[in-house]
Parts: sequence; C-alpha cells; structure tokens
Amino acid sequence: MVLRKSGLAAAVLLACSPAAFSDDLNINGFMNVNAGNLSTEDISLDGYDDGVSFDIGTLAGLQISKQVNDTTSATVQLISRGSDNYSTEASWAYVTYAANENTDIRMGRLRTPFFYYSDFLEVGYAYNWVRPPSMVYRLDAFSSISGVDVTHRFAIGGMDGSVQAYTGRYNEDFTLSGDTYNIELRRAAGMVFSLNSGDFGTRLSYHQADITLDADPSAVPNPLAPPADARALDILASTGAAFGVGDEFIADEDKVKFYQASVSYDNGSTAVIAEWTALDQTTALLNDDSAYLISAAQRFGDATVHLTYTAAEDELESGVVGQIQKNAESKENSIILGMRYDYDSSTAFKVDIQQHDEELVNGAKGESGLLYNVGMSLVF
Amino acid sequence: MNMFKVISRLAIATTFFVTALANAEVAVIVSASNGNSALDQDTISRVFLGKTSNFPDGSQAIPVDQNEGAASREAFNDKVLGKSSSQLKAYWSRLIFTGKGTPPKESGSDTEIKDLVAKNPNLIGYVDASVVDGSVKVVFKF
Repeated sequence: MVLRKSGLAAAVLLACSPAAFSDDLNINGFMNVNAGNLSTEDISLDGYDDGVSFDIGTLAGLQISKQVNDTTSATVQLISRGSDNYSTEASWAYVTYAANENTDIRMGRLRTPFFYYSDFLEVGYAYNWVRPPSMVYRLDAFSSISGVDVTHRFAIGGMDGSVQAYTGRYNEDFTLSGDTYNIELRRAAGMVFSLNSGDFGTRLSYHQADITLDADPSAVPNPLAPPADARALDILASTGAAFGVGDEFIADEDKVKFYQASVSYDNGSTAVIAEWTALDQTTALLNDDSAYLISAAQRFGDATVHLTYTAAEDELESGVVGQIQKNAESKENSIILGMRYDYDSSTAFKVDIQQHDEELVNGAKGESGLLYNVGMSLVF
Repeated sequence: MNMFKVISRLAIATTFFVTALANAEVAVIVSASNGNSALDQDTISRVFLGKTSNFPDGSQAIPVDQNEGAASREAFNDKVLGKSSSQLKAYWSRLIFTGKGTPPKESGSDTEIKDLVAKNPNLIGYVDASVVDGSVKVVFKF
C-alpha cells in the first residue's frame, strides 16, 4: 500500500516554522538536486542518456516523527522523486516501541536493510558520491518492505554493536529494462549484524524471501519470433520451455538469498569502505550475481576527494539452463572519481565522473563510456 | 604550486583558529546534584554522539548543545568530539533518517545552558569556564 499525495510543497513550507510545533514533534528534511549525462548511448547506466537529465536523481524528503508516550513514537518519511514524476509516497511509515533502553521494535513500512548505506540511501548529504554505485546498490524496487523489525544495541569492551532482525512481505509492480512485472516476496526475512570499534566498522547481513514473478511463457508461443510487445522475461521463460527446462524458468515461491559484508574505516580525514554483495536464487529466470565496491576518500578542509572501483558479474547455472541464461548475462565495472564540497554545515556540492566498462551485455561484448554527475545535497 | 599555496594558507588559518580557541577555556558541566564527579573525554563524546544514554553511575544522561555558531560549540566539537560541524551534520543525518538517533537539542548560549543544567541532574552541557558557578559541577575542562 502506497500513500500518495502531492502536497509536499505545502508540507515543506510548514516545516520552515518548527517553532510552531510542540517539543516532541520532530521534522527533518533532505533534498538532492542531481544532473547526469552519458558520453555515449552505447552504454546504459542509472537511466541516463547523452542529453542532460535532472529528474532521475532529484528528490526531496520530509520526515515527521512524534513521540506518543515514553516508549512509543511514530515516524513518517514522505519522499517525492523526480524519477517518479515528483509524486509523493511514504517510503517509511512506522511505529517504534522501545522495549527497553537498548531494544527497539518497529512496525509498518520499513527500509529493507540490504546495504551499508540502505538506511540513508536517499539522504545524499550523508555520503560523498552523487549516488552510491548502482552496480552494488541494486534491488531498488525492494528498498522498502512492510513488516516488523527488532534492533538491539550492545556494547562490549570499547566496541558498539547492533543486531537487527526483520520479517515482512512485498507485493508490487516493478520495472526491469522497460518491462513491468508483478513481483511478490513472501516470508521475507533478514538479519543485520554490525560492530564498530573506534574508527573501524563492520557490517554483515543475510536476507531471504520466496519470490513469485508473473513471467508467462505462454505469452510467447515461439521464442524465435517473439511478439513485438513481449516482455524480456516472458521470452526467457518461453525459451526455457522450448528447451525442456521450462520449470527452471518459472518463479513461483522460489527461494532468493542475498548476502552482504562490508568493512569501513573513517578517522575524520581519511575514509575507506569495501562492500561485497551476492544474490543467489533457485529460479533461473533472474541470474545470480555478485558485486562489490572499494572506495577511499580524503578530506582537505571543506573538500573531500574520493576514488571508487566497483564491479559486478553474473553467475550462471550449469548445462542447458546456463546456456539460456547466457542470453541475459552481464559483467561490468566502473571507476568513479569524485569531489564533494561542504558549502556550509547543511549543504554539499558534488561532482562525480564515472568510467563505465560493460564487458558483457546479454552475453555479448559491450561498450565503455563516461557518466558525468553533478549534484547538490541539503539536510534541514 | 597553486595547490601548495592553498594548503599553506589553510594551515596558517587553522593555526590562528586553534590559537584563538585556546584562549577561552570550556568546561563540561553537570548539575551540582549529579552523582558523577569527573568524566573522561571518551564518555562525554559517547554521550554527545548518542552512543550511550547513561552516566557511568547508571543514571540517565541527556546532552544539550549550544546554538549553532557559538564559540564554545565549535571548540567542543573540535576538541572533544574531534569532528567539524559538516562531519557532525553528516553523522547525524545518517541516524536521524533511520530513526536510530536524534542530535542533542540546541538549547541556547553559555548562561542559558548553565541554568538548564543546574536545574536537571540528567543534563550534561558545556559552557565557557567564566560562567561556571556553584549550581553546576565541572566534570571535564579543555
């Protein structure tokens, strides 16, 4: 269920007079204005083309939270995204119950904690890139989930840590390469473990769900001559059927697993992060993959220069199934060089240049090119 | 060459800044009725970064900040927390929008903070050492 309304402007105006509200109502906001441009349309990356586009990475968010009583609070995060025609939706809407000083239980629509940056994925001010590298930061369609989670914080020795466990479900339409599918994730559950010691941090997470996707082989009677409006996964499912492995190319409550591990270091002037992720599923309809990034940043006063290497690669099944999956195989890598400038304590300007190399696209050799991004991020 | 100039200018500016700060002594204070006598820098920074919500004796600790731009706040951020105001903003923006923490409330200037802290044994703040009187207890000085 998505709450929609287009009154964000009015809400932002309201937020400008926080004094009008009582002490226990907190309003915080963030905004990113980003523009991007590809050097060539021989590559595809983050939805950009060789004309300048502002809408893809531009968004505004408003978070309103209210302490209901000593142990319970309610939070709503409304986000209006340029990629979604600036219509407003509630990305988060949950009630938090503090079971004790170190344990919180949240119920409602939550951010799925897949990645290190998941919790503040859209708060551009919180990181250096114009956006976290999309080869690793994929699964956008599932970034919010309806359910419940429990977070427990602890301290041992000089270390701080937390354990978070969640469960929920997801049922929505999502778009893949221009085609729309209905996807349902049932019995989605996951666990996040993080530990910080001084300047060092580590985060490990595991997620799983049963996926049902409405790919329909019967929509494509002959995979060698698909109808013009056929969806890519329908063609893939039909190809599987034609080779006698149709069952493999159906997603009907098939198990999907996602693994994440990251280590980070930040001493205030030098920061390094390495993050590795992998997707492993029983249906052959979607390729398994692994993706990672390594990034280093150095701060010089108000300016931060950063360099990132990121790569992603599909893993195919063996035999005939793998031969069919090869038609959708992808392997790519990027180098991102960027600079962030802190204009004041709530505004940052950013420039990123990404050299993107598509080693394999749909199983064939791809092209390489550059993505230029400039952006401004605000928090208020 | 140019870059070097910028860096050396920055270094000079930073030196001036630090010297200016060293002139005013800042005191971290709790109410005179608070049971804790002295706190180390690590404990204070954990309280102000929201990593703990308790004093060493187990009682609840609520940090209060001075208003943005106040000289004592700049000095406190720099010397005790070891972070610039932009870094702190980025730190809190990671927590605010996840419901995992809220920054200390901005509660006024030196005198206002001293009066607030004096009245509530759960509060901890920092003020210019010149405003300290018998109503509060200094637990750390820099």
